[in-house]
Amino acid sequence: MITKSIRRTGLAATAVLAIVSLAACGSDSNGSAAGDGEPLTTVTFWDPYPQYDDSSDWAKYVESCAPEGTTLERTATPNGDILNSLTSAVREDNAPDVVLLDNPAVPDAAVSGLLASSDDVDLDIGDADENLAGPGLIDGKTYGVPIGANTLGLYYNADVLKSAGVDPASITDWASLDDALAAVTADGSSGITFAGIAGEEGTFQFLPWFWGAGASLTDPGSPEAVEAGQLLSDWIGEGYAPKSAITDNQSASWDLFLTGDYGFAVNGSWFAKAATEQDFEAVMMPIPAKDGGAAPVPTGGEFAVAPTHQSNAQAHYDAANEVIDCLVGNGNQVTTDDQLGYFAANAEERQTQIDADAIWTPWADAITNAQGRTSDLGADYTGTSGALSAAEQASLNAAGDEDAVSQAFAEAASSVSQ
Amino acid sequence: MVHQTEDIQDVQDVVRRPPAADVRADESATDDATAERRGRPRISRSTLAGLGFVAPLAVYMVLFYVYPLVENVSMSLHRFTRATYVTGEAPFVGTDIYREVVGFDAFWPTIGQTAVFVVVSLAFQYTIGLALAVFFQRSFPLSGVLRGLFLVPWLLPIIVSGTTWQWMMDADSGVINRLLGVVGVDPVWWLNADHALWAVIIANIWLGIPFNLVILYSGLQNIPTDLYEAAAVDGAGPWRQFWSITFPLLRPVTAITLLLGFVYTLKVVDIIWIMTTGSGSSQTLATWAYSMAFGKGSSAIIRYSEASAVGTVLLLVAVAMGFVYLAVQRRQEA
Repeated sequence: MITKSIRRTGLAATAVLAIVSLAACGSDSNGSAAGDGEPLTTVTFWDPYPQYDDSSDWAKYVESCAPEGTTLERTATPNGDILNSLTSAVREDNAPDVVLLDNPAVPDAAVSGLLASSDDVDLDIGDADENLAGPGLIDGKTYGVPIGANTLGLYYNADVLKSAGVDPASITDWASLDDALAAVTADGSSGITFAGIAGEEGTFQFLPWFWGAGASLTDPGSPEAVEAGQLLSDWIGEGYAPKSAITDNQSASWDLFLTGDYGFAVNGSWFAKAATEQDFEAVMMPIPAKDGGAAPVPTGGEFAVAPTHQSNAQAHYDAANEVIDCLVGNGNQVTTDDQLGYFAANAEERQTQIDADAIWTPWADAITNAQGRTSDLGADYTGTSGALSAAEQASLNAAGDEDAVSQAFAEAASSVSQ
Repeated sequence: MVHQTEDIQDVQDVVRRPPAADVRADESATDDATAERRGRPRISRSTLAGLGFVAPLAVYMVLFYVYPLVENVSMSLHRFTRATYVTGEAPFVGTDIYREVVGFDAFWPTIGQTAVFVVVSLAFQYTIGLALAVFFQRSFPLSGVLRGLFLVPWLLPIIVSGTTWQWMMDADSGVINRLLGVVGVDPVWWLNADHALWAVIIANIWLGIPFNLVILYSGLQNIPTDLYEAAAVDGAGPWRQFWSITFPLLRPVTAITLLLGFVYTLKVVDIIWIMTTGSGSSQTLATWAYSMAFGKGSSAIIRYSEASAVGTVLLLVAVAMGFVYLAVQRRQEA
């Protein structure tokens, strides 16, 4: 609402008052006024990595992918804002040529008409694993190519576990994890950190427990879903997890783990390198499922997509094609993913990565068995994710109260079916 | 926030403006009459000049105030989704969206929470602000420095103060709970769904005290000191002086402070968002509209139209308060 008003007002002001400075910030540098077929001189590129500034290696790497005769302008937008910015940009027909879009947002963007499909752009998912390429395939068309993938694991502080007399190998299911948490907290340390913040980030972290209990996104009110909510709710109630979990995002919960007080932390593969640089020994193990074995974890990571254009569309799509090919085509993906700390989406290239660096070894199975968040529901995932997030928040607030937890998931189910 | 004192000036100007405009209208009416008598109907030069001076302001107001507001209302009458927002083919649905918003389970609780948030925040901000203003009226060594220090909450970026409050209110290791522990009170889970509203109210009161202090303090400076001297001669104690002189004479300033405070508090998003993302009982109309407009926090799906509808409700409440203020002002002048 607010962005719209501001932007519209900006355009109106440009038209009426012809203020040049306003026009400069509102207009696109690709010269959309230019006739069709005109070659581009500037290629625009958005990614959700504000942590890499213009002087970073990542920025230089991306800029080197500019098609011949053009310069590439990179803009970093926070992950939570990029889809909204893209919506506005497509509406004004000054969308960037290539966007790296978080994978669960791809179906929503595609059905809203924001993305060009394989009909217009030569998007080649090539030999990316099916589970990782899934979010880009909608109604038989390809809307994006995974640039790589990340996922979640259960980190533990080996020093804390040792002091509490817990053998990490004994943790194979929820019951043994709870026993370990009890032992660790009885020993005077803290239990486990995770991100329960409202929104997609919280749902992402909840899904390993949700899927690990045997629940399905098509039925968020199932008894299995309630069990997953109860597990986390009890952690708060028993004092195994910090109460701040209801507002912690993944960075905040990681910071808590880095204090060295906590035995366990659910967090992403993007912290694997940082985990090796701590004063304590931080080790990753797969997140256990309820009845043993590794729980299915959700895939994280972005897709390279080409937004739709109206004027001079083909030139934009051709440029997108070249940039995407440079980032993820033939063997280039490993270079890209090494920059980002991601896994390659293709099994063979991933094996090369894992062989080259031992810290990735424990992650190999997790990423191979990871599930796409949108695989079951497509664009409807957004709504279900919101309902699950609300149910998780309510469960954490309930601090163990079983009635409140089952009611929370019943409400989630009814809000989705509406 | 920095412009608050200027805003007061603006509001007061607006209030005083109507008589002036009437006078001008009368003048131009006479001019026109003269022109007509001469048989050459034309717009007089002074009217033209007047219009010329008004034009930049009028254009500015239309572009930056009227147009966005009309757009907002229009958006709440059309069904926008992400897809229709791009194509612009949003169907007109009349008041359907308002009916849906009122029908949401969250609507009435959110109205109630907003009311509690605004009323409790204002009551404490005003009372504490006034108490401090009266306290600082008497100059004592370092009173200026101390008064300056009370402005700190106002000067800090809200991202800093919000994060600090969130950290202080941490349930397991926050300093507030540790302090409570020292006096033997059980730790409070400040930011959970039930207590979140009170947590953000406490932070917001802290945030609003400097504004009330500054405005009320400057109001106190305008009360003639001889009134107090006369009262003291008549044997009135400090309490009697406050209720018979300070409080009545401060009434115009009180009215504007409360009006501005009301509007600022009603639209607060930042402090709540930083502390709780509007979760649980801390959801107000403003944070609800924000979460729906951008698909964040409690609303995963983007709901442009519903957010505009809530925005319009907010707008109406704020405008209604404006009229209440004008009525109060008029009664005081009468």
